[in-house]
Amino acid sequence: MSFFRITLTRSGIGMPKRTQGVLKALGLRHRMATVFYPVTPEVAGQIMRVKELVTVQEVDKALTKEELRAERRPEAGFYLETAAPR
Amino acid sequence: MLSRTIRRSILDTRVPTSALPPTFLLPNRARYFNSTTQHVDTPPESIYISQLATSPPAEAAETVTPVRRPIRPKVPLPPAPISEPVALDASVKELLPLLAAQPSHYISAHIHAKPYLVTAGDTVRLPFHMPGVVPGDVLRLNRASSLGSRDYTLKGTPYLDERIFECRARVMGTEAEPMRTKEKKKRRNRRINTVKSKHKFTILRIAELKINSLEDIEGSGTESV
Repeated sequence: MSFFRITLTRSGIGMPKRTQGVLKALGLRHRMATVFYPVTPEVAGQIMRVKELVTVQEVDKALTKEELRAERRPEAGFYLETAAPR
Repeated sequence: MLSRTIRRSILDTRVPTSALPPTFLLPNRARYFNSTTQHVDTPPESIYISQLATSPPAEAAETVTPVRRPIRPKVPLPPAPISEPVALDASVKELLPLLAAQPSHYISAHIHAKPYLVTAGDTVRLPFHMPGVVPGDVLRLNRASSLGSRDYTLKGTPYLDERIFECRARVMGTEAEPMRTKEKKKRRNRRINTVKSKHKFTILRIAELKINSLEDIEGSGTESV
């Protein structure tokens, strides 16, 4: 089962109420918010309504909130090689 | 009758004052007397690299916690060795020995995506307090965006392969800034709130910066395959 990965890249402020309602229905509250929905005609129609504001990717798996956070987190760039006696 | 037994039980649970050492010898008091300039903090639970890899100790089972999150080690663990061979450009292969032959090198190592331009022997005061490390720990820095000598620079896209170099940093300790006070006042109101802050910073010393030879770099990839 594949999913749409939808990210709001342009804000819905100043858009018609209909458009803002679609964003609310998709659960996109602010810019760079990411949601996952299964690929269905209903969701595809919603995306078509706000296609100028969002970027869409088709992915195999829906990520959880924690996985999305881990994706954004930069690498530590170090690791503990030898620990001093504690 | 019943009230008396209750009172007895309350009295028994109280710790007799004679059993405790004087207050100035209690751990949290004694710390004020033995204040030193070097702040050495020990983490609440002792961390060993081998211990971190295994499951958490069984003593945690006693405490009743309905939702227990997996214990994340505070310090990143050594990553798994990379099996695929290093893809080095022909020009890099030609010039890397020249770079390595020059006497001293610099590296721009990235810690939490922030670059630190350092050379061996440098002391770095990180802009944060690194949790879970104690003085004497050796950290291996494995992310770098550039590596160079007087005449040559090897730039990463965006990062260099971590098998090209070996950079080690020793934890020297922590440093604290002077206490900062900030007065918070709202208009038309006499109340002043004073906020204090005193941050700690981890000090690292770059103990070693070595550029691996071409044979080592290419050998490490093929060995593990």
